[in-house]
Amino acid sequence: MSPVRRFLSTPEAVAGTILLTALIAMALSASLLFPGDPQAIAGPALLPPFQDWSLPLGTDRLGRDVLAELFHGARTSLAVGLAAAAAALAVGSVVGTLAGFAGGLVDEVLMRITDAFQTVPSFLLALAFVSVVGPSLGIVVIAIALGTWTGPARVARAEVLSIRERDYVASARAIGMHPLAIAFREVLPNALPPVLAMSSVIVAAAILTEAALSFLGLGDPNRVTWGGMIAEGRAVLRTAPFLSIVPGIALVLTVLGVYLAGEGIVETTAVRRGLS
Amino acid sequence: MSLLTISNLTKRYRRGGKTIAAVDDVSFHIDPGETLALAGPSGSGKSTIARLVLRLIESDAGRIEFEGNDFLALGGAALRARRARLQMVFQDPLAAFNPRATVARMLDDPLRIHGIASRAERPRRIAALLERVGLTTDLAPRAIHEISGGQRQRVAIARAIATKPSLIVLDEAVSALDVSVRGQILELLLDLQRQEQIAYLFISHDLGVVRAIAHRVVLLEAGQLAESGDAHAVIDAPQSAIGKALVAAAPRLNRTRP
Ligand SMILES: Nc1ncnc2c1ncn2[C@@H]1O[C@H](COP(=O)(O)OP(=O)(O)OP(=O)(O)O)[C@@H](O)[C@H]1O
Ligand SMILES: [Mg+2]
Repeated sequence: MSPVRRFLSTPEAVAGTILLTALIAMALSASLLFPGDPQAIAGPALLPPFQDWSLPLGTDRLGRDVLAELFHGARTSLAVGLAAAAAALAVGSVVGTLAGFAGGLVDEVLMRITDAFQTVPSFLLALAFVSVVGPSLGIVVIAIALGTWTGPARVARAEVLSIRERDYVASARAIGMHPLAIAFREVLPNALPPVLAMSSVIVAAAILTEAALSFLGLGDPNRVTWGGMIAEGRAVLRTAPFLSIVPGIALVLTVLGVYLAGEGIVETTAVRRGLS
Repeated sequence: MSLLTISNLTKRYRRGGKTIAAVDDVSFHIDPGETLALAGPSGSGKSTIARLVLRLIESDAGRIEFEGNDFLALGGAALRARRARLQMVFQDPLAAFNPRATVARMLDDPLRIHGIASRAERPRRIAALLERVGLTTDLAPRAIHEISGGQRQRVAIARAIATKPSLIVLDEAVSALDVSVRGQILELLLDLQRQEQIAYLFISHDLGVVRAIAHRVVLLEAGQLAESGDAHAVIDAPQSAIGKALVAAAPRLNRTRP
């Protein structure tokens, strides 16, 4: 059975894939379906959903189109989630590989730094960083990555510690390969599978963290975000609950989709490794 | 003048509070183009000596002189450059290759690292190396796990000879192969030695193979040198207790060459 078909044979993976595909479609089509500024006034304020078919999900307190905001918010969530997770995985793998491969003092120093980052709750770290540096998309990405790279670093280090004793690493040394080339060409690629297995959890957590930051008003003010929409809706939670519920559901489905699809991929690769 | 001279080499490991000497005051030499076999029971320190000679681990005492220079004095880039002259073939040819690599990449590495051939010239050199070890050139794009164990060990030998070394350390390099393949690989090694004057430090617990391929033999016991001398002489009439025990334990020490 091909990997793709095996992947799609589990219901979780199928559900995750459908949710993720919908999210990506939303993000990609946002500026096609809703060109112009999603934060512009589109109609009367607080229009409930399913009343006016030109504004299917109604409008918020300021009369902005909720559906347009939802689509543009998908874009922010996905971009921040993926970018932060990619940054965390990249930094974590490099730090973990250097620590595990170099050993000695380098390992000691890098792991103490990792400890230091890990003792601070990652959300507090992100909060503090954005408060100090100021909210913008790039800063939010860095803030989230700052609190999440330690997990991948530990996993990568543990894997590298076992790989560096393998014969093929000794063989690379014996032919005179530079230690950095050995670390990044021979060791790192083989240490990656368990690190990448963490990516779905990290992406999901990053999307949630971004939403939480935006909810607290620390997101990029120039972009629509789901967290920001929920915060906006809170003021009128009793009279217009849909303003918080709609982006809330979108957030839950996204995190669920990322998680399920990730689990499916991990399971598929585990099966394949188990069989070979 | 000898190619490799090892004097009073010692390597200790600490295990559970007490120190054991995996290699204890061992001295021997290898002449250019010669095969020296290192034999001894399991745990006698053969692989440790191989790793010390290749500077994969550092010794606690002793000297290693290679091609007339103090090999232990080298470090960093100078050591990496000198490694071209001193290569290794491992026991398990699957473990000795990056599982993601292709045959071509494994042979490309030494050529690139030591600047032996330009990028444009390398595919031709790789093909020549494959042919030299008796493989067809269509193996080049294959992944390491897509070729047989015997082919893999030939690729390992091709990788070792790519830099034109004067010495190759073979740690149980034929032990994992089945008998017919083993004979072919030994034949290849003898042929390479005849044509290119490569010396071998040949590690094996199989005295039959040692007798067939080695000029001289060093027997080890518990990290110490127990006996050394002409391979046929030592195996036909061992003097040391461990030599007698090893010969007695050897399944069939017939006098056939591979
Ligand atoms: N990294 C290490 N740490 C501790 N002890 C070690 C280490 N490497 C080897 N030793 C010990 O050193 C001794 C010699 O080991 P070595 O691997 O050189 O033996 P060998 O002659 O190659 O054996 P075999 O024929 O089984 O391969 C053994 O007692 C071994 O347990
Ligand atoms: Mg050994």
